[in-house]
Amino acid sequence: MLEIRDLEISFFSGKKQTRRTDRVSFSVRPGEILALVGESGCGKSITALSILGLLPRQGRVTGGEILYAGKNLTALPEKELDEIRGREISMIFQDIMYSLNPVFTVGNQMIEGMRRHLGYTKQQAKEKAIALLKRTGIQNAEAAMRKYPHMLSGGMRQRVMIAMALACGPKILIADEPTTALDVTIQLQIMQLLKSLRDEFGMSILLITHDIGVVAEMADRVVVMYAGQCVEEADTKTLLEQPAHPYTQALLSAVPGVNDEPGRRLYSIPGAVPETYHQMTGCRFAERCPYAGNCPKKGEMKSAPDGRPVRCDLAEKKGREAHGA
Amino acid sequence: MAHDTPIMEVRNLTKHYRAGGAGLRHAVTKAVDGIDLSLRAGETFGIVGESGCGKSTVARLMMGLEAPTSGEVYFRGERIDNMPESRKRLLRPKFQMVFQDSGSSLNPRKRVMDILAEPMLYHGKAGRAEVLRRVDELLEQVGLPSAAKTRYPHEFSGGQKQRICIAKALSLGPELIVLDEPVSALDVSVQAQILNLLKDLQEELKLTYLFIGHGLGAVRYVSSRIAVMYMGKIVETGGADELFRHPAHPYTQALLDAAPVADYSLRNRPRIALRGEAGGMAPAGGCPFRDRCPHARPVCAEMTVSLEPVPGGEGRLSACPFGR
Repeated sequence: MLEIRDLEISFFSGKKQTRRTDRVSFSVRPGEILALVGESGCGKSITALSILGLLPRQGRVTGGEILYAGKNLTALPEKELDEIRGREISMIFQDIMYSLNPVFTVGNQMIEGMRRHLGYTKQQAKEKAIALLKRTGIQNAEAAMRKYPHMLSGGMRQRVMIAMALACGPKILIADEPTTALDVTIQLQIMQLLKSLRDEFGMSILLITHDIGVVAEMADRVVVMYAGQCVEEADTKTLLEQPAHPYTQALLSAVPGVNDEPGRRLYSIPGAVPETYHQMTGCRFAERCPYAGNCPKKGEMKSAPDGRPVRCDLAEKKGREAHGA
Repeated sequence: MAHDTPIMEVRNLTKHYRAGGAGLRHAVTKAVDGIDLSLRAGETFGIVGESGCGKSTVARLMMGLEAPTSGEVYFRGERIDNMPESRKRLLRPKFQMVFQDSGSSLNPRKRVMDILAEPMLYHGKAGRAEVLRRVDELLEQVGLPSAAKTRYPHEFSGGQKQRICIAKALSLGPELIVLDEPVSALDVSVQAQILNLLKDLQEELKLTYLFIGHGLGAVRYVSSRIAVMYMGKIVETGGADELFRHPAHPYTQALLDAAPVADYSLRNRPRIALRGEAGGMAPAGGCPFRDRCPHARPVCAEMTVSLEPVPGGEGRLSACPFGR
């Protein structure tokens, strides 16, 4: 459906080139929710932005391919990419305040997009917009059409964003931290909405998140990223129950849960994500890894015994047992 | 320390804000609406609730950063909300605050050393040499290298900045620290580091914490007792473990239901998604939660809501008479 192959994104500052992702590869299958999970700075968001050619000015794809419907999106002229953007692949953001134009009403923004992309008449677009707003759970859709973004709550704005993203019936929805700015009860509503929309429209969702809980609730498969690299890929159940990469393991035991036994001490990963990881050779997690002692620390992609890709030199041998976890 | 002397106590604390409208018709937002709390020495008391529920306002009122519309705030039995500033200044070192946004809590033009020394010099705690020695000690306590003191805030990561904020709060030897969403802006691995640091410091220095958060897991992890707030009111309070295991108020149940759990076997657990959103005005009279409550009944619109003991709830209080 959508395949990312050896993607390398670099940021340029003057003559200095900083490689922010390193041979990132994964693919999004039809109808699935694939989560791209990792901490800030791991490269998950820029990977998502690069798919639609939305990297900031100083960023550029410097290697690899993004394949969609037989085309390499990284090599596509802007005009052709514009045909795909919003129509075939659309995106919603965490920053709901800045993703809507503050000086136009919700209705104006929705109608404009549909007239432009789908060639609807004003009336057709209006009817479709109201139907979409209703579908995303906005009770009084006609009234919402006349409102400006600042008049809506965070949850409502995200619903409007989702409705706009759905307007052209995309095959893939990229959702960048769609619930991070929302309260938990609203987060649950939005997660349920996204899942039901996936079922109804059969689209794929590429979910970018830092929250393992959200992954557990929504995703079918997961790609874990660390310091600009993919470190593990697995279906959600396997990843949560038998994480193979030490970073995934650490991440899972660092989250305080509502069902935890009292008195449990959280595992905290020592140190911090290396800031200059783009210059590193070998395993990028080594200096924080509890198993680095007797490990070659090459940091190459290996296969765990069950076949899933894991960027850990110890993964090949015994899988999780090798880490004594 | 006697267990029954609360270190800080608030009674019937209320804060109203004018929310637009002119003259006699102006609307009032009841940010905090008649809250009673008491913090025992050495405990961590957690307040949870969604944005706009008034939890941060409670913290600001306790710290004296804002004046309450009505109600009283006591520190060690002494009323502080109407105290003259000159007297309050003497008490201030005893209660300190750490904010979510560590970046804007630190002066970008000052070195860490000066940031940490400033409160001590202002309050005349010690001489120059003593202050410098204390700076080293503070940095060590929060797990930063001594070399950090000559650097500026922007040279640190989010987690390190939060460590500096904690060191600053510790500098005057407080008894109580109010932590307003101290880990919400941090990555999970860093979050765990800071939560563990806070726990260790509490044990070492016998601190009392008021921990405000919206991440239920984090609040549970550090708190011994918890209050759940909804639209300016406490709807349930009690021991953290009991409250999370057997929530009595429908809103507490809904909050726990909505919290994502990193456990695949619980993925399809039955749970209720609340209708609508909190915000704007509470419905007039009756229970403020009734328009979102899955168990609401007609009487909820008329009854006077008050916190009552939960049967068999080990001192827990709930504002819903129908809670199970």
